[in-house]
Amino acid sequence: MAVYERIWRRYGGRLTPVGRRWTVVTRYALAEAFSSRFFTAFYVLCLLPTLIGVFLVYLSHNAGLVASIGLTEELMGGLTDLFFQVLFSWQALPAFFVAVIVGPSLIAADLANNALPLYLSRPVDRRDYVLGKLAVLAILLSPITWMGGLLVFTLQSSLEGGWWWRDNWRIGAAYLVGHATWIVVISLLSVAISAWVRFKPAARGTLFGIIFILAGFAQAVNAVTGTSLGDLVHLVRAIINVVLWIFGMPLRSDLPIAASWLTLAAACALSLWLLHRKLRAHEVVE
Amino acid sequence: MTATPATADHPVLELDGLTVRLGRRMILDDLRASFEGRAIGLLGPNGAGKTTLLRTLLGFYPAAAGGARVFGRDLGRDGKAIRAEVGYMPESDSHIADITAVHFVRLMGELSGLPSSAALERAHEALFYVGLGEARYRKVGTFSTGMKQMVKLAQALVHGPRLLMLDEPTNGLDPPARKRMLELVRDLRDRGTSRILLSSHLLGDVETVCDEVLILKAGRIADSCDLEAERRANRSFVEVDLEAPSADFESALVDLGCEVASLEPGRLKLVMPDSVAVRDLWIAADRAGVGIRRLDLKRDSLQDIFLRAMEGGRGGL
Repeated sequence: MAVYERIWRRYGGRLTPVGRRWTVVTRYALAEAFSSRFFTAFYVLCLLPTLIGVFLVYLSHNAGLVASIGLTEELMGGLTDLFFQVLFSWQALPAFFVAVIVGPSLIAADLANNALPLYLSRPVDRRDYVLGKLAVLAILLSPITWMGGLLVFTLQSSLEGGWWWRDNWRIGAAYLVGHATWIVVISLLSVAISAWVRFKPAARGTLFGIIFILAGFAQAVNAVTGTSLGDLVHLVRAIINVVLWIFGMPLRSDLPIAASWLTLAAACALSLWLLHRKLRAHEVVE
Repeated sequence: MTATPATADHPVLELDGLTVRLGRRMILDDLRASFEGRAIGLLGPNGAGKTTLLRTLLGFYPAAAGGARVFGRDLGRDGKAIRAEVGYMPESDSHIADITAVHFVRLMGELSGLPSSAALERAHEALFYVGLGEARYRKVGTFSTGMKQMVKLAQALVHGPRLLMLDEPTNGLDPPARKRMLELVRDLRDRGTSRILLSSHLLGDVETVCDEVLILKAGRIADSCDLEAERRANRSFVEVDLEAPSADFESALVDLGCEVASLEPGRLKLVMPDSVAVRDLWIAADRAGVGIRRLDLKRDSLQDIFLRAMEGGRGGL
């Protein structure tokens, strides 16, 4: 039927599985994110740490190339744990900025335009909706973080040969678990803030505030009390501790590693509670 | 838990003691009714519970007691299955501002289960159907109020739902746009592909579109009626004032098959069978040699029904 005929008819074709409807939310949100040239360019830049890591790994195993660009093998040295720790930080930081740019707009726009009744009047429930929105950040952040990290790790393993990967499995585990934990925490936080703060710049500021003001507050508490109790609200330190713990290095806190896990779990739980409170098809005044 | 199969035999909507509380407030109180018509009207003053009833049927609010069934599917157990068969046009402004109308309607189609290509095709069709064909590549946020109402209708019907829930669809529309909206709803009703559940506080909208009506007042059912049957029953209800009492005229009416009651000398109240038209009364009077001073073909309009319901119950006719 020609679309301009202004005749209506029922749909008799096949339907997509109900369990996969959340992917529609993800797909449209991703398309929306990449509709901005600024974001697309920024996202490509975020892949640079991984590319630099790959290049350095390749360089450290190519004596001829090292010599041709005027470096000595001694200067390059072997790739130590520190290299991988630094690379981890340089991957986690852009991931945070991607979450800051994309996260606050994921739900805020729907709430501002009262679009939730339209989503939730379909065979899509709040869990599907949140899953779809969280998947956007997981998909965006994964190539920048753990996938890039594992790529560098795999390249290093293959170029080193032998049992290097077995002796250094903690590096791969740190990339996978550390980055995955960071993605979960930062995604939940940014989506929860997005649900409560409808003005995008304010939501971005709030996310910054939660990360950096809490860090400052934690250090102030530590300084005043002479303990590490402030680290219980220091999300960045908590994730660093988790990564250091997996690397097998000393923690940057006097608190046990369980405290860091507790901090991260509490942040996730609080975010989920905030989402549960806010994401409703309609406001209910009790 | 398996979903209750929906069949054509089930009523469109069954309310079985449905009670909804929001906080401590009772919003819907023990609603019991069943509807099978093509278009069901929810009528009532502001705050009567019309919108709450629609939202409860969509699973937005939980039932505190009782339940409801849509096409035989239980609200408590088969919420997703019900929503798969429903298209909902909310009362308030609801859209996604930063995307084009066709993108928006396509998204809604895909969320309802249409494959991507089918959703795109039907999004174009739906927008042309509601009269937004030329504006389909404009961002929804730039639309006027009337256009936003139309795009809300398009997203509600893009997946070809069995039941269209329209909450105050003519809100904010100017008279031509209101006429157009009601024409579209009537057209959808007459095609028979979708049943309509229309919530409105405008009697005219409900009377134009619906054949069954549920009147709510303060969260309770004030009345429910088959509007079509009411119209049929009252079409033949006539009051006649004669210039003088006439036994010949009365017997002529009885011969025609009318039920006649004499209220007072020269004033008759009668119910005409379907085969008798008003013209036949004039002919009978002429033959009986009596003049008719006043002939009132009384129709029990929706307004009468509504006013009686608001006053506390239906009186006898």
